[in-house]
Amino acid sequence: MSEKLTRTQVKNLERLGGVNPADESFSRRQFITQAGGTGLVVGGALAAGMLVRDRWGMEGVKPPPPVRLKDYSVALNPSKPNLVVVRSSPPNADNFSSREEELQAREEQAFKMIHAALNAMGGDQGIAQFITKGDVVVVKPNVAFDKNPDLAATTQPDTVSAVVKLCFGAGARKVIVADNPINNPESCFFKTKVGEAAIRAGAELMMPQDSYFEQLYVGGETITHTWRMFYRPFREATKVIGISPVKDHNLCKATVTMKNWYGLLGNPRNQFHQNIHGIISDFALMMKPTFVIADGRKLLMRNGPTGGSLNDVKRGDTIVVGTDCTAVDSWCVKNLLDKQRHEIIYLDKVIQRGLGKDWRPQWTQELTV
Amino acid sequence: MVKIRRAYEALFLGLFLFFLLITDLRYLKGWPVSIFLEATPLVAVSTALTTHTLYRNLVWGLVIIAITMMLGRVWCNWMCPFGILHHIFGVIGNRRNTKQMIEVNRYRKIYALKYYILAAMLAMASLWIVPATLSTPGKIHEAYQSKELTQTGASRVFAAIGTGVGNALEESKAGNSTLQIGLLDPIALTVRSMTTSVLPTAQKATESIYTEPREYWQAWIVGLIFIGLLVANWWIPRFFCRALCPLGALLGVFSRFSLWRIDRDPVRCTDCDLCLKSCEGASDPHTDLRKSECFVCLNCIEDCPHDALSYRFLPRKASEVTYPAVGRRQLMMAGLFGVLFFPMARLSGGVKKNFNRAVIRPPGSVAEDEFLRRCIKCDQCIRVCPTNVLQPSMFEGGVEGLWTPIMISKMGWCELNCTLCSQVCPTGAIREISIAEKLGVGPFETHGPIKTGTAFYNRGRCLPWAMDTDCVVCEEVCPVSPKAIFTRNVELTDRWGGKLELKRPFIDPDRCIGCGICEHECPVKDDPAVYVTAIGETRDKSRSLLLSLVEDDAQDLISV
Repeated sequence: MSEKLTRTQVKNLERLGGVNPADESFSRRQFITQAGGTGLVVGGALAAGMLVRDRWGMEGVKPPPPVRLKDYSVALNPSKPNLVVVRSSPPNADNFSSREEELQAREEQAFKMIHAALNAMGGDQGIAQFITKGDVVVVKPNVAFDKNPDLAATTQPDTVSAVVKLCFGAGARKVIVADNPINNPESCFFKTKVGEAAIRAGAELMMPQDSYFEQLYVGGETITHTWRMFYRPFREATKVIGISPVKDHNLCKATVTMKNWYGLLGNPRNQFHQNIHGIISDFALMMKPTFVIADGRKLLMRNGPTGGSLNDVKRGDTIVVGTDCTAVDSWCVKNLLDKQRHEIIYLDKVIQRGLGKDWRPQWTQELTV
Repeated sequence: MVKIRRAYEALFLGLFLFFLLITDLRYLKGWPVSIFLEATPLVAVSTALTTHTLYRNLVWGLVIIAITMMLGRVWCNWMCPFGILHHIFGVIGNRRNTKQMIEVNRYRKIYALKYYILAAMLAMASLWIVPATLSTPGKIHEAYQSKELTQTGASRVFAAIGTGVGNALEESKAGNSTLQIGLLDPIALTVRSMTTSVLPTAQKATESIYTEPREYWQAWIVGLIFIGLLVANWWIPRFFCRALCPLGALLGVFSRFSLWRIDRDPVRCTDCDLCLKSCEGASDPHTDLRKSECFVCLNCIEDCPHDALSYRFLPRKASEVTYPAVGRRQLMMAGLFGVLFFPMARLSGGVKKNFNRAVIRPPGSVAEDEFLRRCIKCDQCIRVCPTNVLQPSMFEGGVEGLWTPIMISKMGWCELNCTLCSQVCPTGAIREISIAEKLGVGPFETHGPIKTGTAFYNRGRCLPWAMDTDCVVCEEVCPVSPKAIFTRNVELTDRWGGKLELKRPFIDPDRCIGCGICEHECPVKDDPAVYVTAIGETRDKSRSLLLSLVEDDAQDLISV
């Protein structure tokens, strides 16, 4: 300080012990720590910014990486049938003292029928041809509507519990029962009694949550690329079984095992009704199940797919098990629903695209238990 | 130095106003009119949080961050157009004497409010951290098990960690954050206020800003807030900058590292407090400088009668207040408010379930969830739109959508061969598109055109449908070829017994792009007989109408 200090300034200097702290310059240490620190932080901020830079502005519309479904089918011995029709008269309601006992008997009957069918298809290995030890099995029933099972609009609960028990009996590690209903999920699983049946048999019930849906690659004709799908049950699945009722359908004339996979689609799936046969034929591309069961013990002959009156229900007393949805659907349509095969356009589409084969008598076996 | 600073203030304010005025179809050309919006670091930091990327030119914000980390909050008094406006207002309206100015420029506790505002807004932008953290271990495990990684051993672990964290971040992004900084970001606020309120008013006076008068829906609210904030400078100087500005708060946090600051010589200083007379930032230069509040206006240096203040490189650490004076508890409460308010706002139904038919976004917009994570409500798109169709929404898009752009087709229409809005959007809420992509021609032939909505007829109001009167102006002005409106001829008997031949219009939803010119030209002007609603827009698969339009390759170019 070259100029003269005022009296106040002299007092300030005295108070500070004669040395003005502002006179001394920064130390080397302060320079290195502060300048170096700031340099590091600035460099870090610039680097971090350039690292996440979206140069072309396309990150906002980047599609999420799609998942794909595995091929869950098993190869059958060519000499064995790939479609088995099992007939059995239902247990007589008068023989039982209570409703529970009758339902128990119905479940045992379903178990016996499916067991016989799988044995016929599996040959020497029987069920082990399909379900092996340690498998994670996804069972996909139809619980689209919150209706009583007697109305035949949804899969029968005793069939579901029979299949679950079969899987555990064959050594499966986990069985997941899942569906994405049209009506409210809790209502559907409860009122169709499928939820209770699945849990009683020891399966895990998986309801559709928002985060359980992922973009699935289909690459078909109606879904050309991907669609949001209820994928969570399939994350660790090794085998897939579809169980569907046999129903009349207002729009596509019949719905059996192939249309059952519609229940896996996420929204806005209501748009596919604009091209219903196209989307069903894409299911044959999307899903290759281990086997499918068409539960024809009760048939919905009219006013499908929702039904709603017992007058529309007919006794079929048949369960059809097969590895090819096309063959199963084709057989059921003709022999159970009394419809003309050529009415069902999606079957023609699937066969034309080479994704399935029509049923042949020489590959079919009919049993009675 | 003060003279140089004044020159910079004039330069930057002039540049800002110049860019604002040329944001017009006639003058836009290649000028970087969005540079101020892109340079504000608050936009860069908060969009990096909500989108995990830095959109294109937002890297300019890194330059300002670097400058602030070295020199302090120079932005606030040298470059920020809103700050410069506040400065001007404070000077021209000043009726205080020196003593009163000194008192009003002392630091007040209320100036901590901007940090709480920033905390709440950043909390709303960072909610995805919670699900990301919870799902990261599972994702790392999944990545380790997956067949896609080829490394083994230790490098496999590192690769799995990297992939797992990336996947967890990717999955947690959607639906878990919202961008609300645009409400108070100074540049966004200024551009919005100028666009919707000040310039239309200036047009009334001078008729030189637009080619025809403009109206912006309910923009009196925006204008009132703008004037209110400017007038508040006569109560407390730089009130917005000191107490409300979240960008100021962010820069205050960054200036913690600054190497230069105002330093006071304790011997020369006679405690006269004259340095406070023109202190812009209320940063207490008369004691220990509050580094986070100082605007580096350098007024105090010239005001000091004893030359005790200087702008110094690496002064003593002991004589400064490095950190902003915020209460930890209040900061946490502010963050908590943000964390709680965002889900309440989002789950009020306006974005997914009860989405409003009036929320018709500009062409090139990303899907709604992504839009609300990008739009800073700067209304730059509204400024450049040549037909006045883009309007600042109120709460049609939910509370998060306040002042985001929507098309009100009664007030204008979307010109077919125009993509101006997408060219000026600084954050990619409206992704820059070419005319070819908008029309679905050339390389975009298979994708088809971008649709912003679909038109529908209200046959009870349509002249040929309900009133036996010829019209079909809608068909005439429909810009696509073949037209999205077609007619069928009818022959009927009118009320007096004469023969009448009418053309009755129909919409072809396959062709309609939702531009709204039919609604704008419909003679039933109060409640048009043909009107556009948001269904059928291509930016979001879940808002599509026709299957044939959903299932093209490009329709997968939407965000989750």
